[in-house]
Amino acid sequence: MAVGILGGYPARAARPVVDAFAALGLHSTFYARVLLHVPTAMRRYWRHVIRHVSEISFGSASLLAGGGTIGVVFAMSAVASTQIGLEGYRGLDLIGLSPMTGLMSALVNTREIAPVVASIALAAKVGTGFTAQLGAMRISDEIDALETMAVPSLPFLVSTRMAAAFISVIPLYLVGLFASYAATNLAVVNIKGQSSGTYDYYFHLVLTPTDVGYSLLKAVIFAMIITLVHCGYGYYAGGGPEGVGKAAGRALRTSIVAVTVLDVVLTLAFWGPRPTLPGLGT
Amino acid sequence: MSFEAPPSRTALGDAFTQVGMLLNFSVRTFSTLGTVLARRRLAWREVLEQAWFLASVTTFPSLLVTIPLGVVVALNVGSMAGQLGAEGYGGAVVAFVIVAQASPLICALMISGVGGSAMCADLGARKIREEVDAMEVMGIPAVERFVVPRVLAAILVTALLACLVMAVGITASFAFQVIVLGDSPGSFLASLTQFSRLEDFLVAELKAVCFGILAALVSCFKGLTAKGGPSGVGDAVNEAVVLAFILVFVANTVLTELYSAIVPARGAY
Repeated sequence: MAVGILGGYPARAARPVVDAFAALGLHSTFYARVLLHVPTAMRRYWRHVIRHVSEISFGSASLLAGGGTIGVVFAMSAVASTQIGLEGYRGLDLIGLSPMTGLMSALVNTREIAPVVASIALAAKVGTGFTAQLGAMRISDEIDALETMAVPSLPFLVSTRMAAAFISVIPLYLVGLFASYAATNLAVVNIKGQSSGTYDYYFHLVLTPTDVGYSLLKAVIFAMIITLVHCGYGYYAGGGPEGVGKAAGRALRTSIVAVTVLDVVLTLAFWGPRPTLPGLGT
Repeated sequence: MSFEAPPSRTALGDAFTQVGMLLNFSVRTFSTLGTVLARRRLAWREVLEQAWFLASVTTFPSLLVTIPLGVVVALNVGSMAGQLGAEGYGGAVVAFVIVAQASPLICALMISGVGGSAMCADLGARKIREEVDAMEVMGIPAVERFVVPRVLAAILVTALLACLVMAVGITASFAFQVIVLGDSPGSFLASLTQFSRLEDFLVAELKAVCFGILAALVSCFKGLTAKGGPSGVGDAVNEAVVLAFILVFVANTVLTELYSAIVPARGAY
């Protein structure tokens, strides 16, 4: 399937707009086809799904690039949540409410920070990896070769990755969430010197299973979007080696914007415009 | 001068080699910057072109990320402060979160994710087509011609972008809190002006500049060490983005802690 389907249109002025709509349509059709082919991929190419799961979770890249996604997610979540602990303590201390930092950890980490940070880590590590792999396959004509050999490239390459991402995101995200809680606790109790009993009391008071479930749901939705966007940009990459790198950048931009916008939508959908704190009796 | 990684057998050895090479690369970039400025042969045109490119690819996505972020901050802060009986506290938290934390981080994510990956792809493609080596042979050092202008452009663009992100983020937060949640605009603005300080703004700018330097250095380094054909360029971009994101997050914590240790918090509610 060629990318430049609009090559012959004469209207010069409307070209950018038409191209934008064409790209939108191309990518939307791509997303729908990928999702529809996931069951086929699970049935026919389950070996590849398992291989992708191990590649996503532990990776084959060098140790400096985080040693696999699990390391990247852990590191970024821990650092971001240390920040939440330290800044939250400082902020609440101004109004004399520093004992309630535990409440902030349970609330802000679960609802916003952990899903968004884990998704950014996933997009950077797994997403750009997918774009790089698929883009390299596209520009060296390997995808066309697959089609020539009567292997349907979309289920074989993209739907398997989609299924693998769905399987690996749940444990990966839970590791990230654990890192967030542990890092905030460490920052507040060990660096700022708050009593661990006070911290734990407010932390457990506000942390509910429902929130954790919604938080996991957020992370899974973000991971789906990220996989689709990055695979789409890689699958339709063009323009030589440089084009692959540029596609990775554009994919990252699109997925970060999509994740932050969806984050607001999901927050409003899950907790309403005036979210209440569980456990405080208000 | 070329940047070829020596072959290493273990993952740990590889990591240390990369760290050493990156440090070497950074030191060389800054010494070249000094020489170039002293001898007045900085490639101004390249700086401006790169700055324009970075600004044109990062500005719009940054704003698209900032507006939802301002809404999320207002949403969470509004609910929490309201239940603790501190409704007017929203402005102060916005001053903390958006000015000091979010704006440098959003700039860094955009510069390293969008701008840095393009830089890395550009340099990586030139590297694997041996254009960079050809330039070195002709006596044009790659660091002076490619890296120094890109680092300067990243500094310029992150510093300006951070201001834009702050303005848009505070406006989005204010608008959501006043129009959608129906809070008092006066108390928001009062606590905003009471708690925000010039130092916070300056430190946020400093942080944004540091993140810009980190992102540009990592992207250029990974681009100039790309090898292995087209898929090597893709891998280089992937590694550059991951490394830049981790470095930026770690640098953010370190800089914030240094700042709050040096300058004590001011103001009382």
